[in-house]
Amino acid sequence: MSDYILQMKNISKTFPGVKALDNVELEVKKGEVHALIGENGAGKSTLIKILAGIHKPDPGAKFYFEGEEAKINKPIDATLKGVSIIYQDLSLFPNLSVAENIYIGQDSNKKPWKKINWKNIKKTAERALEELEVDIDPNTTVERLSIAQQQLVEIARALAFEAKLIVMDEPTSALSSSEVEKLYKVVDKLSSRGISIIFISHKLKELFRVSDRFTVLRDGKYVGSYQTEEIDEAKLINLMVGRDVSYEKNEKEVETGEIIFQVSNFSKQGNFKDISFSLKKGEVLGITGLVGSGRTELAQAIFGVNKPDSGELKIYGNYVQIRSSADAVKKGVAYIPEARQTQGLVLEQSIINNISLPILNRMRNKLKLIDRKSEVQLAEQYIKSLDVRPALPDLPASKLSGGNQQKVVIGKWLSAQPKILIIDEPTNGIDIGAKTEIHKLLRRLANDGIGVIMISSELPEILAVSDRVLVMRHGRISGELGIKEATQEKIMSYALNSGKKDDSSDVLHESNQVSQGV
Amino acid sequence: MKLSKESILGLIALGTFLLLALIAPGFLSSNNITSMMFQLPEFGLIALAMMVVIVTGGIDLSITYIAALSGVGAALMLTNGYGILPAIIVAIFFALACGAFNGFVISKIGVSPILVTLGTMVLFEGIILAITKGNSISGFSDGYSLIGNGYYLGLVPLSIVIFVLFAIITAILLSKTSWGRSVYMYGSNETATLFSGVKNSRVLMKVYLYASLLAAISAIIMTSRYNSVKVDLGSSYLLQSVAAAVLGGTNIHGGYGKVIGTVYAVMIFQFIRNGLNLLGFHSSLVDVVIGAILILVLAMNFFSDKFKKVAETRKAEKAA
Amino acid sequence: MKELLKQKEISILAIILLIGAVLSFVSPVFLTVGNFLDIIEGNVVLGILAIGMTLIIITSDIDVSVAAVTTAVAVSIGYLFTYLPDSWISVLLLFLIAPVIGLVMGLVNGLLVSIIEIPAIVVTLGTLNIIAGIVLYITNGNYINSTSFPTSFMEFANYELLGIPILIYLLAIVAIGTWYILKHTLIGRSVLAIGGNTQSSVRVGIDYKKVKLFVFAYMGVLAGIAAIAQTAYTKAVDPNGMLGLELTVIAAVVLGGANIHGGRGSVHGTLLGVLLLAIMQNGMILARIDTYWQNVVTGAIIVIAVSYDHISYKRSQDKLAKIEVEA
Repeated sequence: MSDYILQMKNISKTFPGVKALDNVELEVKKGEVHALIGENGAGKSTLIKILAGIHKPDPGAKFYFEGEEAKINKPIDATLKGVSIIYQDLSLFPNLSVAENIYIGQDSNKKPWKKINWKNIKKTAERALEELEVDIDPNTTVERLSIAQQQLVEIARALAFEAKLIVMDEPTSALSSSEVEKLYKVVDKLSSRGISIIFISHKLKELFRVSDRFTVLRDGKYVGSYQTEEIDEAKLINLMVGRDVSYEKNEKEVETGEIIFQVSNFSKQGNFKDISFSLKKGEVLGITGLVGSGRTELAQAIFGVNKPDSGELKIYGNYVQIRSSADAVKKGVAYIPEARQTQGLVLEQSIINNISLPILNRMRNKLKLIDRKSEVQLAEQYIKSLDVRPALPDLPASKLSGGNQQKVVIGKWLSAQPKILIIDEPTNGIDIGAKTEIHKLLRRLANDGIGVIMISSELPEILAVSDRVLVMRHGRISGELGIKEATQEKIMSYALNSGKKDDSSDVLHESNQVSQGV
Repeated sequence: MKLSKESILGLIALGTFLLLALIAPGFLSSNNITSMMFQLPEFGLIALAMMVVIVTGGIDLSITYIAALSGVGAALMLTNGYGILPAIIVAIFFALACGAFNGFVISKIGVSPILVTLGTMVLFEGIILAITKGNSISGFSDGYSLIGNGYYLGLVPLSIVIFVLFAIITAILLSKTSWGRSVYMYGSNETATLFSGVKNSRVLMKVYLYASLLAAISAIIMTSRYNSVKVDLGSSYLLQSVAAAVLGGTNIHGGYGKVIGTVYAVMIFQFIRNGLNLLGFHSSLVDVVIGAILILVLAMNFFSDKFKKVAETRKAEKAA
Repeated sequence: MKELLKQKEISILAIILLIGAVLSFVSPVFLTVGNFLDIIEGNVVLGILAIGMTLIIITSDIDVSVAAVTTAVAVSIGYLFTYLPDSWISVLLLFLIAPVIGLVMGLVNGLLVSIIEIPAIVVTLGTLNIIAGIVLYITNGNYINSTSFPTSFMEFANYELLGIPILIYLLAIVAIGTWYILKHTLIGRSVLAIGGNTQSSVRVGIDYKKVKLFVFAYMGVLAGIAAIAQTAYTKAVDPNGMLGLELTVIAAVVLGGANIHGGRGSVHGTLLGVLLLAIMQNGMILARIDTYWQNVVTGAIIVIAVSYDHISYKRSQDKLAKIEVEA
């Protein structure tokens, strides 16, 4: 018998135009928690989808389960080998009961007319939930559960399948801090029972907490596998990006001036409460906090797409009412959402059409028709000034890389000449080089007099770009720090404990919540 | 050089025309050509209306009943002794009221268009029935009948001039105005469009209003041509108009669609209907051919996409 | 039972009871057994088709060809009658042949939707045109009346068991059978699963293409059965008799609580939707409301129902507080 539950060798995957994986390997020992690490686009998801039987690898790939060679051609092959995969967006059926969600898939190679054994389904589900020691009613429908509970349902499903290897893809990304801690305990328990776990995360602290070993991927290539205890964070980052990373500090170049934007007493039930802050000319204001602390909801409320229950806005000293995104554009407020591909851009449409969208009314000639020439000029201007590549204004936005897509979104909003620019997770899913470029750009905009509010979970980014940091926690502002006094530790303590310094051990654990890495 | 979807369709239309000119006796006779020109506008206008709605990712199942109700409006005015102009105004007003109702429920309440228009289709049909008691209203003035039967400058049917005019207006509205652009953007991704400061509900409201305006114009032509109106005025055009829009290249999920494509599709339908008729085929076989073309074209799209993808992957693999 | 009838079905039931209460005041005939049996028997075809449509709508597709398919099968039955011997075996044989003819047409729809990946509304629009065209061509629009029907079939059509018309049993069998499939078979659960989340279903190894093929094929089978019911009920074959019925079918399913975006829908909900439409029709006749106003009421109820449903859905989404805000 082999020590390894899984060995994948010679894994390559070519998509049209891209080599996503190039001769990668992955070996997971029985009962270990194996972290799979790499930057966005390093090939982690592709590798997992190949293991899952969703993508077919290029010829030459070899899979061994417990030392024996096997073929994985479709999802059921992986399932039968004892592989269960918990995707970041989960694979649940909101309309079905917890019990059925746990059981589903076990029969998928049976005849379609097979009678469902409801007793067996319920028993299987109850047993799995009991094993996990969680208290979820197997009869409720999944849509009524919280994300954390839904995740546990997925884990229960893996247990019900008697999985030998469970893959967890970014399992903590949508969990609150206490839920994360519970998840770690579940992971520990599973591995103590001999189940192997592949844990994918970009939160480095988290990986040091849970994993025994890890494998690093970079640009679709295998970098190496290491024991967790033989390595530290700096070295790990170096392995991931191939160089030392620290963001360039973007110092303020102009003195911050008058208050140009003021938010007073913004509240919305179930979103945020009593939010008041102001923004000075030339300033970059960072807003951070755990995922789910209400930052995005606040930003969207200011932008007019998430109606607040109460609160007032002042721009350049004048009260303004923003009831819709169209109002926001008129009043000079721009918002760049985190979900670039679904909210930021109309992907199928050209760069030109995306850039001119907020100001179509200003693109009209005397006949009230769109003046294509000035539209193209506008697009070319921002393609040039933001260095969008390839510089083809007619190209659909979908054909651009993440960084270039973000530049188009920024260009779109700059074209509207905003007074206030709110940007949500500006560099999510963007590679390092483009990240620094965007940081510099934000600083430049602030220097030009635009009030910039940057929401980010990435503390190094917050520290590198902002002049002042607001920390949110459970829908409220829990702390404000000038950039001189701000450190990752201080921000974390506000994000977790309203600035109280007691219970610092908890802080250390939970600091995994906000990304420390790249 | 790569031809656009629309140009290919144009060539198909031309091919159909030439083929029928060869095999269908009398297809090219001036009589036949003018009769096709008289028949095409009423359907063409409804198809354009449907296309505009489909570009937003919606569908308007009530469109032909809007046309019928609008026709009833005109008929009531005419038979009660009002002039042509008031009749036309009332027809348009009736249609816009229906469109506003659809637009309100769809854009303000947010119910999916297929459900809303399924309901309003029954509702509008009911209103027509309640007004007409199921009878037809007929006997309009000679002046009115000129709209659908007269000639412009004694040469071209007036109705086709009206159709061409509205096709051009629709094309300009869609491609040159900020409303038209927003229609496409909304059809591709409504959230991103909203997040770009576009007033989605206003865009959508105008879409349903404009579609009903086109339906009203079609209704005026139809009532004038038939010299009567009944509850089922134009109802056979409902599903055909969806077929024409889709065949014309409009994406049923929204975001893409061109006036010229739909016009070509309408022409193809008209040629086939007329040609098969001349060849002595039963009129019901026209539906069969249209249905078959619709499915064939989409199946061909599917296979050519697949072929392209396979070719791309092969190329990528070779390069690697 | 409580589990079965969730909020949505309850509210439809409440509306039905309300209308029923009003109608029983308006007309003493309404609350009679005879009237009820008439209502149900008159809507057996709608019921059978709506049950099939429920499965399709659960998978977030739509089928606008159902009425045409049913008519095509009915016409085939009409022609078959001239060949089949006059015996009860022929009636049995009919129950074999009609569903098979429907199945073939359903499979064509299903293959085009699942394998060729053409949107269902376009596919079924196309097949609607094709099938309706062929039917009209063959029949020339002519009515086939009961004089050419075998007496065995007429006996079947008029048969009553325990005072209840046979067609009502037919609807009951279809309803129970479909409920069983949806609730207790792997394929039925897969229908709900792919409607709930197609991506998840791929990941757990459900072949969603097969499931889509199944729902359209099943719709075809039910259309075959509905064709027998239609022929038995009207005692004639009318090539134009079901024009536009597909939209009423869809309306019934939607009124019954199925979600056009998939994942939600039930046989009993759909039956309630059919009943609601049926009672409104019947009630308006009994209340001597001008028949011309019936569509106004029906249309208004559909618009109000879908709007109400959407508003309450939005409210419930808003209530799901995303963030525990500190007091």
